[in-house]
Amino acid sequence: MSEVILKGLKKVYDNKVTAVHDVNLEIKDKEFIVLVGPSGCGKSTTLRMVAGLEEISDGELYIDGRLVNDVAPKDRDIAMVFQNYALYPHMTVYDNLAYALKLRKTPKAEIKKKVLEVAEILDITQYLERKPKALSGGQRQRVAIGRAMVRDPKVFLMDEPLSNLDAKLRNQMRAEIIKLRSRIDTTFMYVTHDQTEAMTLGDRIVIMKDGYVNQIGTPQEVFNRPVNLFVAGFIGMPVMNFFDNCRLIEEGGVFHAEIRGVRFKLSDFQQKALKQNGVKPCDIVCGIRPQHVTVGEGELKATIEVSEMMGSEYNLHARCEGDEVVKLIPTVDLATDVSMGRTVSFTT
Amino acid sequence: MEAKAKPLAKNPGLMSKSQKRARSLRENAPFLLMIFPAVLVVFLFNYLPIYGVLIAFQDFMPGDKILSSSTIWVGFENFRRFFSDPQFWPLMKNTFLICIYGFIIGFPLPIIISLMLNSLKGRKTAKYLQTIFTAPHFISLVVLVGMLTLFFGRYGLVNNVVAHMGGERYSYFLESSAFRPLYILSSNWQDFGWSAVIYIAALSNVDPQQHEAAILDGATRFQRVIHVDLPAIMPMISVMLIMSIGGLMDVGYEKALLMQTDGNLGVSELISTYVYKRGLTGVPDQAYATAIGLFNSVINVILLIIANTTSKRFSENSLW
Repeated sequence: MSEVILKGLKKVYDNKVTAVHDVNLEIKDKEFIVLVGPSGCGKSTTLRMVAGLEEISDGELYIDGRLVNDVAPKDRDIAMVFQNYALYPHMTVYDNLAYALKLRKTPKAEIKKKVLEVAEILDITQYLERKPKALSGGQRQRVAIGRAMVRDPKVFLMDEPLSNLDAKLRNQMRAEIIKLRSRIDTTFMYVTHDQTEAMTLGDRIVIMKDGYVNQIGTPQEVFNRPVNLFVAGFIGMPVMNFFDNCRLIEEGGVFHAEIRGVRFKLSDFQQKALKQNGVKPCDIVCGIRPQHVTVGEGELKATIEVSEMMGSEYNLHARCEGDEVVKLIPTVDLATDVSMGRTVSFTT
Repeated sequence: MEAKAKPLAKNPGLMSKSQKRARSLRENAPFLLMIFPAVLVVFLFNYLPIYGVLIAFQDFMPGDKILSSSTIWVGFENFRRFFSDPQFWPLMKNTFLICIYGFIIGFPLPIIISLMLNSLKGRKTAKYLQTIFTAPHFISLVVLVGMLTLFFGRYGLVNNVVAHMGGERYSYFLESSAFRPLYILSSNWQDFGWSAVIYIAALSNVDPQQHEAAILDGATRFQRVIHVDLPAIMPMISVMLIMSIGGLMDVGYEKALLMQTDGNLGVSELISTYVYKRGLTGVPDQAYATAIGLFNSVINVILLIIANTTSKRFSENSLW
């Protein structure tokens, strides 16, 4: 069992700046949890508190049922992969992988066996005699992951491990982390600012902003049922379209959203939620995912400002009557002309 | 009708060499202007005087022109005179010993101090200590030797304490055995803080994540110094080592002269003090003094080349 429990975790720096407010989180054994949010939201600080690299100002941290607030990082049975790889530059790949085990006075034969095993998994056996500077970014990151793996930690912490890689390599490494996860049965805590990484890797996602946890849920939950405007806007690519100054209208027990004078019937889930919460007609902000926008029909009109050809789809940036920029994703077989300056109709 | 030649396009690939040079000059004009005073100083005080080296090969008398129709060229005669001078071996030995002892103590000291300061948890304490360690560098040599006299003179602080405790007074400045320790230790005391600055600057660039990774590996503070800090400043150490070896035999005459007494003359007479005395005092023999100085410089250049070549072969750091 390697459950991690964060109870009211708080980080206040000496200058009285609170970086993390009251984080409560239960990470199940072998769960892959991703902390995501913009820069300065406290996700890395939270991870560093779990690692023991930051002192916990308040709250309790349990790893595998043991309170570890005052336990030294090396005794927490965790391993961490850093953004900048943090490899020892003067050591070979083999020595980098073996160093933590050497410090634990592991027998040489066992170290060798473990290092070779991990190198095999990560496909870095041919680089064992090289020094880190003779490796590419992707290879270095594999070594950094390997260095964490050899220790068989209860919890695997990753702090933006793919941020230094180019887009292609990042996608490749992301897929490798997914494969790796199936091979090493342990609990993962992964920090990223990239919502795509969060969505693809996490069993559950923790979305943070300004030191507060905004929502915890599966990728589907946070995408389909965001709890607030921040989560709705942060998760999803392209980002959700928001329409200010809209009205929630109820007619014959059925809720509609009125956007620029045009009514849209809300989904069954939304109808149910609004009724359950006893919501009365009021001014609202409407959020519509670009994927739910259809061009070529409907009463809302918008002028296309930018049309981005993305290969299999277009990203359209259009300006609607109320000045909001709308992003649409039509397919390549779209019949409508999507050239700039053209006015299109759309619906949701 | 002949077609008018088209001007070359602004594309650098289509420019002639002189056009490229002119463009580069234009673009870098502000930087060249900024570096000009430094280049001028180096030229005036380091390159121009090289012309004077010619007198090492002449029978030169004060007042003579360096190059004139009456110049008497003597080839390596001045060098031969120095090699057969009874002072040659004592001078070589004294200079070499004071430099090598100074190097053995003075080279690692700033590295150790910088690593220790960098390891201190309290940043403020480290800053205070750094200021305290650096301050002696700004004391002039005359004041420094004055301080040494106050502390180690026959009636100085140390002797007063010894006498107070019933011991005998010791003339540190008259004893040959005390010259080198006093000279070397005071020089290192004066310069170790200043020399550490360059290593402290290099250490400030160490990625904190490397330390954190080592902490998670279970490395102790000392192991982190060895495996994280030291490798990070190794290129700087290599460069400083090459430069130190290159200047190994280069020791100033001022401090040795200030500390020189009849009692310690046997060990305090260095190449530089001898050059000063032969070239500028008594009946000056400037050609001879220049030849000795040039010989000393040639040794330094040879040491520099050896150090650089060795460093290039065994590490990947070198000056050129």
